[in-house]
Amino acid sequence: MKLSNTISFFLFMLLTLSPTLQAEASDYLNEVVRANGLYSDKQYVESAQAYEALIHDGVRNGYLYYNLGNAYIRMGKTGPAILNYVHAQKWIPRDENLAANLKFAIQQTQDKIEPPPPGTLNILFFWVNDFNFNELVYFAIGLNFIFWVTLALSMCFPFLKIARNALLFVLLLSFVSIGVKIKSESDLKLGVVLATNVEVKSGRAVDAITLFQLHEGALVTVTDKHNDWLEVRLNDEQKGWVPQSSLGT
Amino acid sequence: MKICTFRKIALLTLLLIPALSGMSFGQNISVTATVDKNQLTLEDVLQLSIVIRGTQNTPPPELPSLPDFRITSAGKSSSTQYINTQRSVSITYKYRLTPMNTGAIFIGPARVRINGTTYSTKPITVEVQKPSNNATHENKAAFIETTLSSKKAYLGEQLVYSFRLFHRVEAKNLDLRLPFDKTWFNKEELGEPKTYIKVINGLQYHVQELSIALFPLKRGLIEIPSAIIELDLFQNTRNRSSRDPLSQIFRDPFGRNTQAEHKVLRSQPLSVDILPLPDGAPKGFKNLIGQFDISAELGKNDLEVGDTTTLTVTVSGRGNIKDVFVEEPDLKNQFKIYPDKPEFKQTVDNNQIRGEKIFKFALVPLEAGNKTLPKFSLPYFDSKNAQYRIAKTQAISLNIEPSSIKEELNLVRSREQDVPTTKPEIETLGTDILPIYTELDKFQNGGVYSLTFLGAGFGSPVILFVISVFIMKQQNRMKYDVAFYRRRNAYKNAHQRLKQMSEHSDSKEFARELSEILREYVGDKLNLQGKAITAEEVAVRLKESNYETRQAEETRKLLEKCETLQYAPMTQGSTKQLLGESENLIKVLEKQS
Repeated sequence: MKLSNTISFFLFMLLTLSPTLQAEASDYLNEVVRANGLYSDKQYVESAQAYEALIHDGVRNGYLYYNLGNAYIRMGKTGPAILNYVHAQKWIPRDENLAANLKFAIQQTQDKIEPPPPGTLNILFFWVNDFNFNELVYFAIGLNFIFWVTLALSMCFPFLKIARNALLFVLLLSFVSIGVKIKSESDLKLGVVLATNVEVKSGRAVDAITLFQLHEGALVTVTDKHNDWLEVRLNDEQKGWVPQSSLGT
Repeated sequence: MKICTFRKIALLTLLLIPALSGMSFGQNISVTATVDKNQLTLEDVLQLSIVIRGTQNTPPPELPSLPDFRITSAGKSSSTQYINTQRSVSITYKYRLTPMNTGAIFIGPARVRINGTTYSTKPITVEVQKPSNNATHENKAAFIETTLSSKKAYLGEQLVYSFRLFHRVEAKNLDLRLPFDKTWFNKEELGEPKTYIKVINGLQYHVQELSIALFPLKRGLIEIPSAIIELDLFQNTRNRSSRDPLSQIFRDPFGRNTQAEHKVLRSQPLSVDILPLPDGAPKGFKNLIGQFDISAELGKNDLEVGDTTTLTVTVSGRGNIKDVFVEEPDLKNQFKIYPDKPEFKQTVDNNQIRGEKIFKFALVPLEAGNKTLPKFSLPYFDSKNAQYRIAKTQAISLNIEPSSIKEELNLVRSREQDVPTTKPEIETLGTDILPIYTELDKFQNGGVYSLTFLGAGFGSPVILFVISVFIMKQQNRMKYDVAFYRRRNAYKNAHQRLKQMSEHSDSKEFARELSEILREYVGDKLNLQGKAITAEEVAVRLKESNYETRQAEETRKLLEKCETLQYAPMTQGSTKQLLGESENLIKVLEKQS
C-alpha cells in the first residue's frame, strides 16, 4: 500500500508539473526562435538584447552564447563577442564553428596576447578540456550506475570481478576529472576587455602608475579581485589592476 | 655369474679405451718430418708428413717459412697399436708442397707444442729441377699450352688468351690458376670450356680448352706469366706382375689397375706488345676498338601529332661493344623523347666477342609536318686496318599529320623544357564569422545540476545496491536458517489458516484447530514444537522472548479457552468472536516481534 501510494504521488506530481515545464520550455524556445529571426533580419541589436534577456533569465546554453557572440560581432563589438564565445566554450568546447569565430574575433583585436599555457593538471587530464562539466557529470553518473550494478552482479557471478575493478578505476578517474574541471574553471578565470581602451594600473587606484594599455577584446587572466578592481595577468612580467567595469568575466 | 662378470669387464674396457686413447704418454713423445722424395721437378709435388708419436691430442704443427713452395693440407690420420700389451699412438699431418722455383730448397724444422714442451723436426733439403723435354711434350701423359691471339695489340683491342690441357690418361681434381693482372687488362669470359680430341705425333690426346678475352689497359711490353694447373693423373699399371691375378687383387681389390699421380703442369710465359692508338681520332671517339656497324629504323613513318613511334638504333660488331653508348638524338623540341633501357646481346664466335647493343627511343611528335631524323654516327678504331672509321646510319624521313582528336593534347615537354606548372594558391578575398545555430534541439537549457539531482544520480545506485544485497542475504538465510524461515512465515501461515477456519461448523473441531494455529504460530515465532507445548509454557516462553506480559497472558487465556471449548458446545456468535480475538492477538504479537 505504501509503495503504491508513493508511485501515485510521483505520477501525480509528474502529470501536474510536466505541462508547466513544457510550457516554460516552449516559451524559451519561442524566444530563441524570435532572437534568431531578428538576427536573420539583420536586427543585430534587438537580437542581442533577446539573447541577453534569455541568459539573464538563467538559461545556460553554449549555442545561445555563440549566437549572442555572433550578434555582437555583427554590431562591431569585439569585446562582448569574445566574452560570449569564451562563455560558449565552457558548454560546447568541441564546436568547430565556435573555434573559428573566436579565432576570427581575436584577429579583430588590437592587442597581440598569447593564450595562457595549460596547467600541469590540464596536461595530465587532457581530455577534460574537450568535455563540458555537464558531460563529465553525466558520464560519471552513468558509470556510477553501471559500476554498482556490476558490483551487485559480481557477488553472484565472480567472473565479473575484473570488469568491476576496471569500472571502479574508470569511475574514480571520472570523479578526478570532474574535480580537475572544477579546479581549472575556478583557477583560470578569463576576462575580456570590454572598454575600447583600458589602462592597467600598478595599484587599485585611478592615480596609480599606468603599466600598460589594453584594448577591446584583449583576453586576460583574472587572478584576484578587490572591491571594484580586478587583477589581470598577461604573463609573468605583465600584470596589474583594472576597474571591474572595464572587464567582462 | 662368471659370464656376468666377464660382461662387466668387457664393458668397462670398451668404455675406457676411447677415454685412454686421447691420453698422452709424455715420456715417449717424438716428432719427425719426412718427404716422399728428395729430388723432383717443377711438375712434381712433394708430400711432407709430420708424425707425432706418443699422443694424439696435439695442435697442428707450425710449419717453417717455405716461400719456394705452395702449401696445401692433405689431411691428417691417427693410429693406435698394441704390441705385447704395449700401446703406442701417433698422429700424422700431411702437406702437399708444390715447388715454385728450381734449385736446392731447404725445409726448416716444423714445431709442435705439447703440454708446454716444444718439439721440433729435423730440417730436410730437396732438389727441384726443371722438367725434361719441356718444349716438345713428346710422349707425355699430359701437358698444357697457352696462346695469345696476337703478339701485338692496340690499347683496348680485344686479345684472346687460350689455355689448353692435353692428356692421354684420365685427369681428375683439376686446380687451374691462370695469370691475370687487373692493372694491365680487363678480362671477360668467353663461354664454357671446350672439349675435343686431337692427335699429336700419332698419339690421341683429350683437349680441354678455355678462352678468355683480354682488353689491354696500358701500353708497353707485357709478360703474361705461366699458367699452372694441378691435377691427378690416373695411369694404367700393367706390367709383368699383372699376369698374377692374386697380386692384382692385393694391389687394387676392385681390379682397376690404375695408379694416381699428382702433377703440377706449367705453361710457357707469353709476351705481348701493347701499342698506343694513333693520333687523329675523330670527334666523339670513345675508345671503341674493333669493327662496328650501326643502323637505325623507325616503327612507323606516317603518324599524327601525339602518336608514338619507336626509333631503334642497333650497334653490332666485334670488340668492346659493351662500352658503346648512343645518346638521345637532338630533335630540336619537335619530339618528346622517352629513352628505353639498352639491350645487350653477346656471342662468342671463333674466340672473338661479337655483340649487339640496341637502343630504343619512343618518339612523340609535338607538331605536324615532314620531318627528318638526324643520322647517328659511331666513331671507332678499326684495329684490323689500323685506322679510325665512322659508322653512320641513314637519315629517316617521316610525315606527321595534325592530330585527329579535337581536344588539345596535354603533352609534356622534354626535361630541358620543363616549365614548373605550379598552380596558383587560392587567394583569400575576405574573412567572416560562421553563421548562428538555428536548430532548436541544440538550445536545451544546460543549467547547473542541483544537489538533489547529483545526490539522486550518484546515491540511488548505492541505495539500490544495498537493498539488493539485503534481499539477497535474506533469501540466502531463508534457505539455510530454519528458525528464521519459521519466524518469517509464522504470521502468513497463521493468517491463512485462520481465514480458512471460518468455514468450519463443528465447534469442537474449531476450538482444537484454533488452539493448534495459535500454538504453531508461537512455536514458529520462538522456534519451538508448537503442538507439544501447553498454554502455560506458551506464556512463559513469550515472556522470556521479551513479549509484553499482557499479550503473553492473553495468549495463555485464549489457549485455555480453546481447550475448554473443545469439551463444551459453542454458538455461532462465540466462534466468530473467538476467531476475531485470535486474529487480533496474532497481529499484536506480530507487531511486538
